[in-house]
Amino acid sequence: MDELIRDLKVKLVEALNLVDVNPDDIDENAQFVGGELGIDSIDVLEMVVMIEKDYKVTINNKEIGEKVFSTLTNLAQYIRENSSMVPS
Amino acid sequence: MTGKRVFIAGVGIISPLGSGLTATEQALWKNHSAVKPITLFSLRQNAPLPVGEVEAFMADDSLPRTHQLALQAAGQAMQNSDLPLDAVVLGTTTGGILSTEMFLAQGEQRPEFYRFHGLTSVCEEVAGKYGCAGPALTVSTACSSGAVAIKIALEMLRTGEADRVLVGGVDSLCRLTYFGFNSLQLVDAAGSRPLDKNRKGMTVAEGAAMLLLTVDETEQVIAEVRGAGLSCDAYHPAAPHPQGQGALKAMENAIQDAGLSKSDIGYISLHGTGTLDNDLAEARAVNTLFDNDPPPLSSIKGATGHSLAAAGAIEAVVSALVIARNLLPANTRLREVDPALFLEPLKTPRCENVSAVLSNSFGFGGNNASLVIAQANRYPVPPLPRAKRGKLTIVGSSCLTGAGNKHETMAALWLGQVVAGALSSAEISAHLPAREIRRLKRLPRIALSLAAAAYDDSGMVAKPEAVFMGTGWGALSETYDFLTRLNETDEQFPSPTDFVGSVHNGPASQVAIRYNCTGANITTSGGNYSFEQALMCAELLADSRDESIFVLGADEGHRQFSHLFDQSIQEDTPLVDGGGGFCLSKSAAGKGVHIRTSFYKNSKGAYVLEDLVEALGGAEQISAAYGVLMIGIPAAFRRQGDKQLSEFMKFSSFAGPVIDYRQLTGEFASASAVAAVMALEFLKKRAVPKALAGAHDATLNQKGVLLLGLGQFITAMELHAP
Repeated sequence: MDELIRDLKVKLVEALNLVDVNPDDIDENAQFVGGELGIDSIDVLEMVVMIEKDYKVTINNKEIGEKVFSTLTNLAQYIRENSSMVPS
Repeated sequence: MTGKRVFIAGVGIISPLGSGLTATEQALWKNHSAVKPITLFSLRQNAPLPVGEVEAFMADDSLPRTHQLALQAAGQAMQNSDLPLDAVVLGTTTGGILSTEMFLAQGEQRPEFYRFHGLTSVCEEVAGKYGCAGPALTVSTACSSGAVAIKIALEMLRTGEADRVLVGGVDSLCRLTYFGFNSLQLVDAAGSRPLDKNRKGMTVAEGAAMLLLTVDETEQVIAEVRGAGLSCDAYHPAAPHPQGQGALKAMENAIQDAGLSKSDIGYISLHGTGTLDNDLAEARAVNTLFDNDPPPLSSIKGATGHSLAAAGAIEAVVSALVIARNLLPANTRLREVDPALFLEPLKTPRCENVSAVLSNSFGFGGNNASLVIAQANRYPVPPLPRAKRGKLTIVGSSCLTGAGNKHETMAALWLGQVVAGALSSAEISAHLPAREIRRLKRLPRIALSLAAAAYDDSGMVAKPEAVFMGTGWGALSETYDFLTRLNETDEQFPSPTDFVGSVHNGPASQVAIRYNCTGANITTSGGNYSFEQALMCAELLADSRDESIFVLGADEGHRQFSHLFDQSIQEDTPLVDGGGGFCLSKSAAGKGVHIRTSFYKNSKGAYVLEDLVEALGGAEQISAAYGVLMIGIPAAFRRQGDKQLSEFMKFSSFAGPVIDYRQLTGEFASASAVAAVMALEFLKKRAVPKALAGAHDATLNQKGVLLLGLGQFITAMELHAP
């Protein structure tokens, strides 16, 4: 598993206070919103803030957001493509 | 049998469109939008977003902006009236927070700077100005607050609890809402365009509107408040039900409550915020209700922006303008209607005689209210309200204190032990599913815990349909965390989760979601009398068809905020919090202990303690009816409270035990909710333990318990065995 995805999992658990989830147990290819983790629109917005803060990537458009937050893999890919802080 | 007509005898309005009815009317005829970039406070980065800001108005630096807006609107509404008010009911979501934000940023640590922070301080300021002797009731149900306040006032008038009520809504712009809504990506950077195909969100705004309501037709009458309907989506903390289920129910309830049929509605003032989800859900609800053929409709929020708690009251005043001036406002800033909405909003103002208007206000927590405003005396006297004041019987109860849950708290109290303290978050949430509460901080956890335990205690036979919650200070953790992160990140990364959690009605909406309570969902915030206000609203609004309802009172102790905001709490003392919860039923009358409020007056009034004794039936009746007196004197009002108590004892000659319950529960605004659970315990055991009664156990026989709230207000609640 690549480092960015691992980082995202840890940050996800922390930002969303997923107290009963071990970051390593998250499936990066599983449906992200409305999936097993119980993640909803407010969580997505909390992630948007975290991603902007930590990776300087802005996601402020519903269409892009829906695509990007479909899975963690897609999110990582979007960050890689748009962040100057993560080597693509 | 018929009910009473409720008339609008005066209105006041101050919004971005101007101050006063004339300025508002002119702006609406011109289809003018007042939305423009914020100037009220400077931003540390990013371009200013468009807002609805009220232009310079009379400034009095000793009061926060919200208070000034409310006073301005109240002044207009009371202009032609010098008769006394029986109550003031005000909706607000953020009270004096604009000033609080400024003082916090300056590092101000002196509590006197924060004495106008609380929501109740706005309502008390207005009530004080007009010498209102009765309740100053504050309702905080997010963006429906102003309309919900009108529903509460309407029921006070219909039930004869009051003859004249000043009611409205107010909010000022502040950083919390400016950055909060933006963090939810709900703000249209180009200014809100309700119902437009290209709409991208709302515009945060400010303002105030007040209505003088009366049952006396001899006063100058502008229009009639015919009815109002409430509902809760019980769906999501910040998004509407996609099909507008709750919105539909609120509109249906309002029209039924008005004794009208939907064909009587000649215009709909939409909530229409301009967010994608709201406008779509509302359009679906409207089309369902009116079989895809609704009357003329529009949202004025493209002109005014969305003034949150003020919006429902502002739009009620505009609805009165529709009736009185034949003015149907345009859907300002609309270019191209979203075809997905299947609506045809008015693109230009129209002059048309309309007999009845439906006005919608929906808020966070799926908190919905609809009002029907009509031409005075145009329709027959409305039917008696279904939710008549009736006995509320306790079918379940719960409490949380420093000593633990109800069982632990009552065991300690029985021995006369102090239960003041604050449980750990883990202890509070012990029986709540970890996943469901992961986003919730202290107050919503306390509220959910109280609701869960009260419902369990009821045997879970009667499904709760409505939630009434009193909280003196709301969700302090979320508010503190939001403002702290906003400040620490130089206004860059405020937390959307904390913003959603910071609204006063957040905890009650969590309860509604968990128990699918789709009826009324009311949060009151009346300082030390918040629980009493919640109970009063439950008596007025609980539908007799509801199997049961939740009535909760809770507050959280917060290290940084509690001692700054609550004058009864000292810095560096251990934190104290908790609350009490009840499952109540109107249909279980006679089957258990019943609870009711029987007095609520400002203590400044002359002869108020004599009035109290008289209201309770006189000295003889008091000794016969009550076996124990429980009194709540907030520490900040100790001297005043002691004096009030000695007067009461003198006038009532009460000789039974007196329990000064804050000495046991500690100081927190909703301590009276815990006291009410204590009272229930006394009634169940038909005794007061000697540790609390004095020399020996006191038996209650058939007598009840009287709970008096003292200090700024004098309140009475009573509990009686069946």
